[in-house]
Amino acid sequence: MSMKGGGFKKSSKASDEVPTSSLADIAFLLLIFFMVTTVFQADRDRPITWPEAEAAEKIDEKQKNILNIWMERDGSVFINDQPYQMQDVSVVVAPLYAGSDRALVISIRGDRDVPYLYMDQIQKELTEAGVVRVVFAAQLEQSMQRERR
Amino acid sequence: MAVLNNKKSKVSDEIPTSSMADIAFLLLIFFLVTTTFPKDKGLAVVLPEPGEEAQVSQKNILHLIVQPNGIVEVKRGESQQVQQMRPREIEGLWRQEVTQNPNLIAAVKTHPEAPYRFMVDVLDGLHSANAERISLQVLEN
Repeated sequence: MSMKGGGFKKSSKASDEVPTSSLADIAFLLLIFFMVTTVFQADRDRPITWPEAEAAEKIDEKQKNILNIWMERDGSVFINDQPYQMQDVSVVVAPLYAGSDRALVISIRGDRDVPYLYMDQIQKELTEAGVVRVVFAAQLEQSMQRERR
Repeated sequence: MAVLNNKKSKVSDEIPTSSMADIAFLLLIFFLVTTTFPKDKGLAVVLPEPGEEAQVSQKNILHLIVQPNGIVEVKRGESQQVQQMRPREIEGLWRQEVTQNPNLIAAVKTHPEAPYRFMVDVLDGLHSANAERISLQVLEN
Protein backbone atom coordinates (compact mmCIF):
# COMPACT_ATOMS: atom_id res chain seq x y z
CA MET A 1 0.00 0.00 0.00
CA SER A 2 1.56 3.23 -1.07
CA MET A 3 0.22 6.37 0.45
CA LYS A 4 -0.13 9.44 -1.66
CA GLY A 5 2.31 12.04 -0.59
CA GLY A 6 3.48 9.76 2.12
CA GLY A 7 7.01 10.75 1.52
CA PHE A 8 8.43 7.31 0.80
CA LYS A 9 8.72 6.66 -2.88
CA LYS A 10 9.73 3.09 -2.82
CA SER A 11 10.37 1.90 -6.31
CA SER A 12 8.48 -1.31 -6.99
CA LYS A 13 10.55 -4.31 -7.80
CA ALA A 14 7.76 -5.83 -9.95
CA SER A 15 8.34 -5.36 -13.63
CA ASP A 16 5.64 -3.53 -15.55
CA GLU A 17 6.01 -5.83 -18.55
CA VAL A 18 3.99 -8.92 -19.29
CA PRO A 19 6.24 -11.85 -18.53
CA THR A 20 6.89 -13.42 -21.90
CA SER A 21 9.52 -15.90 -20.85
CA SER A 22 6.93 -18.42 -19.67
CA LEU A 23 4.89 -18.14 -22.86
CA ALA A 24 7.18 -20.63 -24.54
CA ASP A 25 6.57 -23.08 -21.74
CA ILE A 26 2.83 -22.73 -22.21
CA ALA A 27 3.14 -23.32 -25.94
CA PHE A 28 5.34 -26.36 -25.53
CA LEU A 29 3.01 -27.68 -22.86
CA LEU A 30 0.13 -27.44 -25.33
CA LEU A 31 2.25 -29.08 -28.03
CA ILE A 32 3.19 -31.96 -25.78
CA PHE A 33 -0.37 -32.29 -24.46
CA PHE A 34 -1.75 -32.72 -27.97
CA MET A 35 1.07 -35.04 -28.96
CA VAL A 36 0.38 -37.29 -26.00
CA THR A 37 -3.41 -37.29 -26.13
CA THR A 38 -3.77 -37.81 -29.87
CA VAL A 39 -4.81 -41.40 -30.34
CA PHE A 40 -4.54 -42.90 -33.72
CA GLN A 41 -6.82 -45.73 -34.63
CA ALA A 42 -5.52 -48.64 -32.66
CA ASP A 43 -5.56 -51.37 -35.25
CA ARG A 44 -4.03 -49.39 -38.04
CA ASP A 45 -0.85 -51.40 -38.14
CA ARG A 46 -2.15 -54.77 -39.16
CA PRO A 47 0.21 -56.34 -41.66
CA ILE A 48 -1.93 -55.82 -44.73
CA THR A 49 -1.06 -54.96 -48.28
CA TRP A 50 -3.96 -53.20 -49.85
CA PRO A 51 -5.48 -54.17 -53.12
CA GLU A 52 -5.39 -51.32 -55.58
CA ALA A 53 -8.30 -49.83 -57.42
CA GLU A 54 -8.64 -46.86 -59.72
CA ALA A 55 -12.25 -46.27 -58.87
CA ALA A 56 -11.70 -46.21 -55.07
CA GLU A 57 -13.84 -43.52 -53.52
CA LYS A 58 -13.91 -41.91 -50.13
CA ILE A 59 -16.39 -43.50 -47.79
CA ASP A 60 -19.20 -41.03 -47.42
CA GLU A 61 -20.03 -41.72 -43.80
CA LYS A 62 -19.05 -40.45 -40.38
CA GLN A 63 -16.08 -42.16 -38.79
CA LYS A 64 -18.17 -43.51 -35.95
CA ASN A 65 -20.49 -45.26 -38.39
CA ILE A 66 -17.69 -47.19 -40.04
CA LEU A 67 -16.79 -50.59 -38.71
CA ASN A 68 -13.54 -52.03 -39.93
CA ILE A 69 -13.23 -55.74 -40.41
CA TRP A 70 -9.66 -56.76 -41.04
CA MET A 71 -8.75 -59.90 -42.83
CA GLU A 72 -5.22 -61.11 -42.96
CA ARG A 73 -3.69 -63.27 -45.62
CA ASP A 74 -4.33 -66.50 -43.73
CA GLY A 75 -8.03 -65.68 -43.39
CA SER A 76 -7.99 -64.60 -39.73
CA VAL A 77 -10.59 -61.96 -38.94
CA PHE A 78 -10.12 -58.99 -36.62
CA ILE A 79 -12.81 -56.57 -35.47
CA ASN A 80 -11.70 -53.73 -33.17
CA ASP A 81 -8.38 -55.46 -32.53
CA GLN A 82 -10.09 -58.63 -31.39
CA PRO A 83 -9.64 -61.86 -33.30
CA TYR A 84 -12.87 -63.62 -34.18
CA GLN A 85 -13.87 -66.87 -35.74
CA MET A 86 -15.46 -66.52 -39.12
CA GLN A 87 -18.79 -67.99 -37.97
CA ASP A 88 -19.02 -65.48 -35.08
CA VAL A 89 -18.87 -62.42 -37.31
CA SER A 90 -22.61 -62.17 -37.89
CA VAL A 91 -23.28 -62.50 -34.15
CA VAL A 92 -20.80 -59.71 -33.40
CA VAL A 93 -21.88 -57.37 -36.17
CA ALA A 94 -25.67 -57.71 -35.86
CA PRO A 95 -26.02 -55.87 -32.49
CA LEU A 96 -23.59 -53.16 -33.61
CA TYR A 97 -25.58 -52.70 -36.79
CA ALA A 98 -28.87 -52.49 -34.92
CA GLY A 99 -27.30 -50.09 -32.40
CA SER A 100 -26.19 -47.73 -35.13
CA ASP A 101 -29.76 -47.40 -36.43
CA ARG A 102 -28.85 -49.35 -39.56
CA ALA A 103 -26.44 -46.64 -40.65
CA LEU A 104 -23.33 -48.74 -40.15
CA VAL A 105 -20.99 -49.15 -43.08
CA ILE A 106 -18.68 -52.13 -42.98
CA SER A 107 -15.26 -51.57 -44.40
CA ILE A 108 -13.69 -54.87 -45.30
CA ARG A 109 -9.96 -54.41 -45.13
CA GLY A 110 -8.62 -57.51 -46.70
CA ASP A 111 -5.12 -58.34 -47.71
CA ARG A 112 -4.75 -58.40 -51.47
CA ASP A 113 -3.77 -62.07 -51.41
CA VAL A 114 -6.60 -63.42 -49.25
CA PRO A 115 -8.16 -66.37 -51.06
CA TYR A 116 -11.59 -65.29 -52.24
CA LEU A 117 -13.22 -68.15 -50.32
CA TYR A 118 -12.81 -66.18 -47.06
CA MET A 119 -14.14 -63.02 -48.65
CA ASP A 120 -17.21 -64.89 -49.75
CA GLN A 121 -17.72 -66.31 -46.26
CA ILE A 122 -17.50 -62.87 -44.69
CA GLN A 123 -19.99 -61.46 -47.16
CA LYS A 124 -22.39 -64.26 -46.27
CA GLU A 125 -21.89 -63.53 -42.57
CA LEU A 126 -22.60 -59.85 -43.13
CA THR A 127 -25.69 -60.61 -45.19
CA GLU A 128 -26.88 -62.78 -42.32
CA ALA A 129 -26.35 -59.86 -39.93
CA GLY A 130 -28.54 -57.75 -42.22
CA VAL A 131 -25.76 -55.40 -43.29
CA VAL A 132 -26.35 -53.77 -46.65
CA ARG A 133 -23.62 -51.23 -47.15
CA VAL A 134 -20.15 -52.68 -47.51
CA VAL A 135 -16.95 -51.14 -48.76
CA PHE A 136 -13.96 -53.09 -49.98
CA ALA A 137 -11.13 -50.92 -48.74
CA ALA A 138 -8.53 -50.33 -51.40
CA GLN A 139 -5.70 -48.02 -52.14
CA LEU A 140 -6.20 -45.51 -54.89
CA GLU A 141 -4.36 -46.71 -57.94
CA GLN A 142 -2.72 -44.14 -60.15
CA SER A 143 -3.05 -44.60 -63.88
CA MET A 144 0.72 -44.53 -64.25
CA GLN A 145 1.07 -47.56 -62.00
CA ARG A 146 -1.51 -49.34 -64.06
CA GLU A 147 0.48 -48.77 -67.24
CA ARG A 148 3.56 -50.33 -65.69
CA ARG A 149 1.77 -53.36 -64.40
CA MET B 1 42.48 3.83 -25.96
CA ALA B 2 42.24 1.94 -22.73
CA VAL B 3 39.56 4.37 -21.61
CA LEU B 4 37.33 3.49 -24.57
CA ASN B 5 37.39 -0.20 -23.66
CA ASN B 6 35.64 0.60 -20.43
CA LYS B 7 32.45 1.62 -22.29
CA LYS B 8 29.58 -0.67 -21.38
CA SER B 9 28.25 -2.71 -24.26
CA LYS B 10 24.57 -2.18 -25.03
CA VAL B 11 24.16 -5.72 -26.38
CA SER B 12 22.50 -7.98 -23.85
CA ASP B 13 24.41 -11.11 -22.93
CA GLU B 14 21.23 -13.20 -22.52
CA ILE B 15 19.60 -15.42 -25.11
CA PRO B 16 16.42 -13.68 -26.28
CA THR B 17 13.60 -15.88 -25.02
CA SER B 18 10.73 -13.61 -25.94
CA SER B 19 10.54 -14.92 -29.51
CA MET B 20 10.59 -18.52 -28.38
CA ALA B 21 6.85 -18.49 -27.80
CA ASP B 22 6.29 -17.25 -31.33
CA ILE B 23 8.35 -20.10 -32.68
CA ALA B 24 6.49 -22.66 -30.61
CA PHE B 25 3.08 -21.29 -31.61
CA LEU B 26 4.16 -21.18 -35.21
CA LEU B 27 5.06 -24.85 -35.03
CA LEU B 28 1.82 -25.64 -33.22
CA ILE B 29 -0.28 -23.87 -35.83
CA PHE B 30 1.72 -25.32 -38.71
CA PHE B 31 1.10 -28.88 -37.53
CA LEU B 32 -2.55 -28.15 -36.72
CA VAL B 33 -3.10 -26.93 -40.26
CA THR B 34 -1.09 -29.52 -42.15
CA THR B 35 -2.31 -32.60 -40.30
CA THR B 36 -4.71 -34.53 -42.45
CA PHE B 37 -6.32 -37.60 -41.07
CA PRO B 38 -6.33 -40.33 -43.66
CA LYS B 39 -9.81 -40.89 -44.99
CA ASP B 40 -10.61 -44.43 -45.93
CA LYS B 41 -11.05 -45.23 -49.54
CA GLY B 42 -12.64 -48.21 -51.13
CA LEU B 43 -15.11 -49.72 -53.51
CA ALA B 44 -18.65 -49.58 -52.17
CA VAL B 45 -21.03 -52.42 -52.81
CA VAL B 46 -24.54 -53.07 -51.63
CA LEU B 47 -25.17 -56.54 -50.28
CA PRO B 48 -28.54 -58.18 -50.84
CA GLU B 49 -31.00 -58.30 -47.95
CA PRO B 50 -31.11 -61.66 -46.16
CA GLY B 51 -33.29 -64.15 -48.02
CA GLU B 52 -33.62 -61.85 -50.99
CA GLU B 53 -33.27 -63.74 -54.20
CA ALA B 54 -34.09 -62.25 -57.53
CA GLN B 55 -34.84 -64.31 -60.55
CA VAL B 56 -33.02 -62.91 -63.51
CA SER B 57 -33.32 -64.06 -67.04
CA GLN B 58 -30.09 -65.63 -68.26
CA LYS B 59 -29.84 -63.29 -71.22
CA ASN B 60 -29.43 -60.33 -68.87
CA ILE B 61 -26.44 -61.81 -67.10
CA LEU B 62 -22.83 -61.30 -68.01
CA HIS B 63 -20.78 -63.94 -66.23
CA LEU B 64 -17.29 -62.86 -65.25
CA ILE B 65 -15.40 -65.84 -63.90
CA VAL B 66 -12.21 -64.91 -62.11
CA GLN B 67 -9.63 -67.69 -62.19
CA PRO B 68 -6.80 -68.12 -59.63
CA ASN B 69 -4.24 -66.83 -62.16
CA GLY B 70 -6.15 -63.59 -62.65
CA ILE B 71 -7.58 -64.44 -66.05
CA VAL B 72 -11.22 -63.48 -66.41
CA GLU B 73 -13.50 -65.75 -68.40
CA VAL B 74 -16.44 -63.91 -69.88
CA LYS B 75 -19.63 -65.81 -70.67
CA ARG B 76 -22.72 -64.14 -72.01
CA GLY B 77 -25.95 -65.54 -70.64
CA GLU B 78 -26.77 -68.94 -71.96
CA SER B 79 -24.12 -69.18 -74.62
CA GLN B 80 -21.32 -71.58 -73.83
CA GLN B 81 -18.77 -69.48 -75.63
CA VAL B 82 -15.97 -68.37 -73.30
CA GLN B 83 -13.83 -65.36 -73.92
CA GLN B 84 -10.65 -64.89 -71.90
CA MET B 85 -9.67 -61.43 -70.77
CA ARG B 86 -7.43 -59.54 -68.44
CA PRO B 87 -9.10 -57.60 -65.59
CA ARG B 88 -8.20 -54.24 -67.06
CA GLU B 89 -10.17 -55.00 -70.21
CA ILE B 90 -13.39 -55.36 -68.24
CA GLU B 91 -14.14 -51.65 -68.23
CA GLY B 92 -14.24 -51.43 -72.04
CA LEU B 93 -16.16 -54.68 -72.28
CA TRP B 94 -18.84 -53.49 -69.87
CA ARG B 95 -19.30 -50.16 -71.64
CA GLN B 96 -19.74 -52.03 -74.90
CA GLU B 97 -22.12 -54.65 -73.53
CA VAL B 98 -24.32 -52.27 -71.58
CA THR B 99 -25.11 -50.16 -74.64
CA GLN B 100 -26.51 -53.31 -76.26
CA ASN B 101 -28.48 -54.37 -73.19
CA PRO B 102 -29.17 -51.72 -70.52
CA ASN B 103 -30.63 -54.36 -68.16
CA LEU B 104 -27.39 -56.27 -67.98
CA ILE B 105 -26.20 -57.59 -64.62
CA ALA B 106 -22.57 -58.39 -63.94
CA ALA B 107 -22.19 -61.67 -62.08
CA VAL B 108 -18.64 -61.79 -60.75
CA LYS B 109 -17.85 -65.38 -59.85
CA THR B 110 -14.50 -65.79 -58.23
CA HIS B 111 -12.66 -69.07 -57.81
CA PRO B 112 -12.34 -69.88 -54.06
CA GLU B 113 -8.55 -69.92 -54.29
CA ALA B 114 -8.17 -66.81 -56.40
CA PRO B 115 -6.47 -63.97 -54.55
CA TYR B 116 -8.90 -61.26 -53.51
CA ARG B 117 -7.07 -58.60 -55.52
CA PHE B 118 -8.20 -60.08 -58.83
CA MET B 119 -11.81 -59.72 -57.75
CA VAL B 120 -11.05 -56.13 -56.73
CA ASP B 121 -9.49 -55.53 -60.16
CA VAL B 122 -12.67 -56.74 -61.87
CA LEU B 123 -14.87 -54.76 -59.49
CA ASP B 124 -12.67 -51.75 -60.14
CA GLY B 125 -13.22 -52.12 -63.87
CA LEU B 126 -16.97 -52.36 -63.37
CA HIS B 127 -17.00 -49.33 -61.07
CA SER B 128 -14.91 -47.37 -63.57
CA ALA B 129 -17.50 -48.17 -66.22
CA ASN B 130 -20.27 -46.99 -63.84
CA ALA B 131 -21.83 -50.41 -63.54
CA GLU B 132 -24.43 -50.55 -60.80
CA ARG B 133 -25.93 -53.98 -61.03
CA ILE B 134 -23.20 -56.24 -59.73
CA SER B 135 -23.51 -59.58 -58.04
CA LEU B 136 -20.56 -61.08 -56.19
CA GLN B 137 -20.43 -64.83 -55.90
CA VAL B 138 -17.98 -67.59 -55.30
CA LEU B 139 -17.42 -70.02 -58.12
CA GLU B 140 -19.05 -73.36 -57.38
CA ASN B 141 -18.34 -76.48 -59.29
